[in-house]
Amino acid sequence: MHPWLLLLLPLHVLASKERLHGVRPELAARYVPTKKGSADTWQCLDGSKVIEWSAVNDDFCDCPDGSDEPGTSACPNSLFYCVNEGHIGSLIPSSRVRDGLCEPECCDGSDEAPGVCPNQCKEVGEAYRERVKAEEKLRKTGSKIRSIYVAFAQKEKKRLEQEITQTEQEITTREKEVARLKDLVERTESLSAAALEERKKSPLYQSLLTHVTALKSLQREHMKHLEREKALGDILDSLRTGYNPNYQDMAVLEAVRGWEQLAGLPHINDVGKDAEDENGELGSDDVAAAEDEEEEVDDGMWTAMQLEHQLDDLLNTDYEALLVEHDKHIGAPASPTSILFNLSAYLPDVLVPQYEAFRDQVVAVLEVLGLGKGSDPAADTSKQQKALNDAEHSLRLTRKDKEDKEQELARLFDPEWYGAEGEWKKLHGTCLEKELGDYIYEVCLFGEARQKPLRGGSTFSLGHFASWNDAPGVEKGSPAYYSKQYYKNGAKCWNGPQRSVSLDMTCGLENAVLSVGEPEKCEYEFKVTSPALCLPLNASGATREEL
Amino acid sequence: MRALSSLLIVAAIPAVLAVKTHDFKTCSQAGFCRRGRALSARAAENPSWKSPYSIDASSVDLSPDQAAFTAAVRSSIYPEVKFGLDVRIHDDGVVRVRMDEVDGLRQRYNEAASWALLEEPKVSQKIQWSVGKNGVRAAYGPKNGVEVDVSFEPLQVTLRRDGKEQVVLNGRGLLHMEHFRTKESVEKSKEGVEVPEEGLDTDENAQVVLRALPRTAWFEGDSEDGWWEESFNSFTDPKPRGPESLSVDIDFPNHGHVYGIPQHATRLDLPLTTGEGAHYSDPYRLYNADVFEYLADSTMSLYGSIPVMYAHSADSTVGIFNAVGSETWIDVGRPSPKSTSSHWISETGILDIFILPGPTPADIFGQYTRLTGTPALPAHWALGYHQCRWNYISSDDVRSVQKRFDEEDIPVDVFWLDIEYSEDHKYFIWDKRHFPDPVDMIHDVEAIQRKMVVIVDPHLKRTDDYPVYTQARDRGLLVKKGDGKTDYEGWCWSGSSAWVDFFHPGSWDWWKSLFKVQPQGDQWSWVESTVDTGIWNDMNEPSIFNGPEISMPRENIHHGGWEHRDLHNINGMLFSNLTSQAVMARTDPPKRPFVLTRSFYAGSQRFGAMWTGDNLGTWEHMAVGVKMVLANNIAGFSFAGSDVGGFFGNPEPEMLVRWYGVGVFSPFLRAHAHIDTKRREPYLLDEPYKSIVRDMLRLRYSMLPVWYTAFREASVTGLPVVRPHFVVFPGDENGFSLDDQFFVGGSGLLVKPVTRKGATEESVYLPAEDQVYYDYFNHNAYRSTSKGKNITVPAELHQIPLFIRGGSIIPTRERPRRSSPLMKHDPFTLRVALSNDGSARGELYLDDGETFSHRDGEFVWREFVAEKPAKKSKGVRLSSRNLAAQKPAEAVDQVALATYDSSNGFAKDVAEVRVEKVVVLGLAAKPSSITAGGKELQWTFTPGVAASDKKEGTASVLIIKDPKLSITSDWEILVQA
Repeated sequence: MHPWLLLLLPLHVLASKERLHGVRPELAARYVPTKKGSADTWQCLDGSKVIEWSAVNDDFCDCPDGSDEPGTSACPNSLFYCVNEGHIGSLIPSSRVRDGLCEPECCDGSDEAPGVCPNQCKEVGEAYRERVKAEEKLRKTGSKIRSIYVAFAQKEKKRLEQEITQTEQEITTREKEVARLKDLVERTESLSAAALEERKKSPLYQSLLTHVTALKSLQREHMKHLEREKALGDILDSLRTGYNPNYQDMAVLEAVRGWEQLAGLPHINDVGKDAEDENGELGSDDVAAAEDEEEEVDDGMWTAMQLEHQLDDLLNTDYEALLVEHDKHIGAPASPTSILFNLSAYLPDVLVPQYEAFRDQVVAVLEVLGLGKGSDPAADTSKQQKALNDAEHSLRLTRKDKEDKEQELARLFDPEWYGAEGEWKKLHGTCLEKELGDYIYEVCLFGEARQKPLRGGSTFSLGHFASWNDAPGVEKGSPAYYSKQYYKNGAKCWNGPQRSVSLDMTCGLENAVLSVGEPEKCEYEFKVTSPALCLPLNASGATREEL
Repeated sequence: MRALSSLLIVAAIPAVLAVKTHDFKTCSQAGFCRRGRALSARAAENPSWKSPYSIDASSVDLSPDQAAFTAAVRSSIYPEVKFGLDVRIHDDGVVRVRMDEVDGLRQRYNEAASWALLEEPKVSQKIQWSVGKNGVRAAYGPKNGVEVDVSFEPLQVTLRRDGKEQVVLNGRGLLHMEHFRTKESVEKSKEGVEVPEEGLDTDENAQVVLRALPRTAWFEGDSEDGWWEESFNSFTDPKPRGPESLSVDIDFPNHGHVYGIPQHATRLDLPLTTGEGAHYSDPYRLYNADVFEYLADSTMSLYGSIPVMYAHSADSTVGIFNAVGSETWIDVGRPSPKSTSSHWISETGILDIFILPGPTPADIFGQYTRLTGTPALPAHWALGYHQCRWNYISSDDVRSVQKRFDEEDIPVDVFWLDIEYSEDHKYFIWDKRHFPDPVDMIHDVEAIQRKMVVIVDPHLKRTDDYPVYTQARDRGLLVKKGDGKTDYEGWCWSGSSAWVDFFHPGSWDWWKSLFKVQPQGDQWSWVESTVDTGIWNDMNEPSIFNGPEISMPRENIHHGGWEHRDLHNINGMLFSNLTSQAVMARTDPPKRPFVLTRSFYAGSQRFGAMWTGDNLGTWEHMAVGVKMVLANNIAGFSFAGSDVGGFFGNPEPEMLVRWYGVGVFSPFLRAHAHIDTKRREPYLLDEPYKSIVRDMLRLRYSMLPVWYTAFREASVTGLPVVRPHFVVFPGDENGFSLDDQFFVGGSGLLVKPVTRKGATEESVYLPAEDQVYYDYFNHNAYRSTSKGKNITVPAELHQIPLFIRGGSIIPTRERPRRSSPLMKHDPFTLRVALSNDGSARGELYLDDGETFSHRDGEFVWREFVAEKPAKKSKGVRLSSRNLAAQKPAEAVDQVALATYDSSNGFAKDVAEVRVEKVVVLGLAAKPSSITAGGKELQWTFTPGVAASDKKEGTASVLIIKDPKLSITSDWEILVQA
């Protein structure tokens, strides 16, 4: 038969059954003709129009809502139902009806003219059922692992509660200790405060204080410069690794080259060209750099390392304690056995009586100043103060520890954190990796995601855990909610946004990153599996279709 | 504060978005352009200026059997230098004027025309030159109304029609061919005795001053400005061949508008660059360049060059094609409102100018495309929607993009891969980390009858593990440095790179062999591809990141010893043309190739499509894109489009939707985005934007029959696919400067895409004719007058102002499909828009859309006609006629078929395709009966305004349901009223 006759056939001879072609079962009852006089009529489903019954499925769109052509492609945006006997029925858009392609969704071939597509529903249905079985098996095994996670969360709950109780006790003990030390310090201080104040007037001490202030200011400026240098270095590193030759900007290229020379880096486009060569070069560069540094240090001046690490210690010196120490040193000659007292031996006899009177006056004055001999309460004060400081510090740490544990406990069954059953707690801090190209991509769940280069260069933060799937319309705590995690505010991209990661998560027996993509610049997408997403079959409420 | 902040914005935008203009030369930074403009300035200042060039009358040598002659030309300032002139008239009246230096130090570049021309044009054997006292003349055309006059002294070529000057060469005496010379000879000549100045009417004092200068100073200037070496930015051009520029003035004394010389981001009706009313200060520049973030209103050169210019007035259209391949600057002036002057300054090459006599726009397109070829008839799928992005990052990404399109039921035909598919930017070589299964991926796309297009750029990574590079190197096919021996090395995406010299004939077969998808023995070929994979040629200006003006050093050497400067503007065309031939050569018999190119030249239209390069996501760029596509269309290169959405930037939804409105009315429809942008595939849009874009794309697909029919016409006649007003209504002055609304082929569809932010209505100009125009969507009838008419129409975001001119019949296919090949057997709808006299006509061309079997007669070409059955009838007779049988010789491109067989294979294949619906607009009365072949048809009629009325308002609409008529057969529908 000529194909286009086939097309015309339904219009005239095909029975009412053909009028139901493509109608989904729940609407079948509405596809019945109404007798009006001699003619059979039919009302469009939206009620907008009455047409002849013969116009249903006649391959011409009569109804504004497209309901008169359930079985053809004549009306745009309508849906065609494939019965798929032996499998499950499905709806396809009318745009796929009679387009010459056999739709996988229509295994019975009903979307095309008879004879075009074979009926494969038996095979397709079988394969489908096997797939469902496999999925179910995966889910079953996965959910067992998940239940272990849930049990872990319960244990964690107990552990945390216990630890919190312990910490509370510890806090009480520490609070008592702090109170005791505080009392001690206060008493000692009141005894010695006046004496200490007097000593602090010493020009030496005052000068020392000025030096300290100056040194601190210098350190602050130094730190600023260091940070600035680091920031500039980071910017230039990003420029170097991330600059886009499309901009064809020689200024950028020069900047990159200049930085590479200054920082002793190989040219970025040569990186990886010959890894061995480059390593060799790098090595010798390092040695040279190290030599340079050593040469600069002379005259007993501090090295950069010392400045970085020892300056703080120096500035944290207890100057009051030093003041007391100082007393000991300069106090020694001022003692009666010191030169002042023995000076008379060297004086001419005529001057000795005047000298002895003067000496007594001097000693008296010195004693008033507290610089002479006598007890030394200031030293006691600073020791006690240190003990108190230490005790207070320990108390703060313990309190913080308690807060952390309380927060962890609160998050344990918080849907926005480890899930209502705490199933994610087990994975807190679990790091998953995937190697792709020149990098290892890593995500530490609920922590940080990173891009670690395999062949030298710096590791970039791709962001820190920010939230689960908070897209509009996604219910908190629903399976869809846990199907995505976002890591945000990573290192900034050259000429782009701050790096971020979206984790697309599905049920799987292992915690693993399956693939890494960068669909938009610096916005990464990890496909991840985890048993934590394998809901028990009965609890998920999943229907067969969803699988 | 407000003032301040807006000031800040104004100050900030240019810094962020503007092109780096300092990367590219202005006229004053190019020695020969400076010299050319100075020459023009000297001439303008001197009222008695006279060209030093003249023809030696005794040397005129007429060809005995054709309209050609040669003559010797001399220059009074260099009497010892010889020039030769060759003038010929082609069969179609086109005049070709050639001049070259004879017996000079070396040969000037004379091969530009050989690359541009389709074939050697046929010189007329009927038209005859006659030698007179003052010149050589010929007259031809209707009533011998066209006269060509080549006068001896000074040398001048004038084309007149009906006594009126149309085109004048060297009328202002700016012709100057700098002959080859050496530094030494110039020094020597300065020692010579002073000679009285010619052409200068000076008084005694002035002469004394001038005598101290070289004898040529009055003409050439008194300094050797940029003769021997030039620097620009950090680049020095050694110019080993010295000065060799070419200047010529070409005036159109009776034409107040000029168009053409793409590619520039400017208006269609070219704004002036010189004299009173100049809009720009620099001449239009033709020097193919990769201009990063180009300006939306500028004479700067862009990616391609077509040195053709049309001059237009209400009663005449003429043109010139200047076959020059070197950098060229063109000043346009308007000495009076009705006349236009142009001055062409080229760096090198012979004079080789074709004068196109017109007299109508249609004649001009015929004349131009007979020279350089008509646009190739594209594969039908290439007219669908192309989805591109830099980059779809993996084969799974491609599959998922396709899935999302299908989930949203948005039609798309082609998915594209930009440079990141390749390993280290070694084109052809897949990056297997991300594309482990390229052929499977392409097959998954092709399963829905879609195609993939993959990029292949001309820079070859210089690495031994890249067979394309090593083969080109070993075969000696790479472009050489100035020494002519060493392979040139430049920097591009692939790092250190080399460029194939496609001027080298040895490169041609080799390049074709690379694209074979079947193994070629030991020879490497792209087996990881499919025969239907299209190719995208980018960066072929060529773009070279560390080269002068981001391109190739001018002193580089190509095959034949030519310097790059000689052929720079042709270079990009050769790459895409060869690629096109290579794609075609993959199968036998060949399939129609699809190759997109960024760089182009006259002739590129024969081989593929172009786009307007790396535009910005701004409203200005959206608007100028429409103008640039129109400019390309009239310059012979119809298959053109601009990146929907803008390449750079993240367009807001409103802008993106409007851009789709522009795109679906561009011959080439592709969305593309830069790697730094957010993804913006239409399925990612929120409602209502997503549905609006879906509807726009479906509108495009429904109109594919119209587009394809327009492409057939372009491929045969050279008439552009999108036509500005001056083309369709050459006598309507109001339309001469219109470039934001246009017609689609000869269909009668008039569209004005909206390119303004926040628009809710648009003003549309209806051409000067007493005719009804129907709104395509709501059937509102508007009436123009013999003076033309501006109407204001609604243009909300979902609306595109689109009209059917009364008297047109539009064939469409209205069933949404996922891709265009799936529409092959879908039925047609005919929209019959009656004219005020109750008639209408339209055309439909169909073929298999992918092979060349149409040249063997495998196609369907129909005409639909509506006419009154009787003089006073209010009814209409609709008929379908076989145009192919009536005009077989004019049916398809390249061949003139003697006969047409209506039962050809293709026609049989689509014989079951029917007309499912006929919509008649503007019928005067409700029909009493409608019959086809004597059988009564079903129909509905909604009363409204009739075409013959004087009223405006919703037109009457008659819908005939399923007349059960085949699209391929002759039939009649009789509507009686």
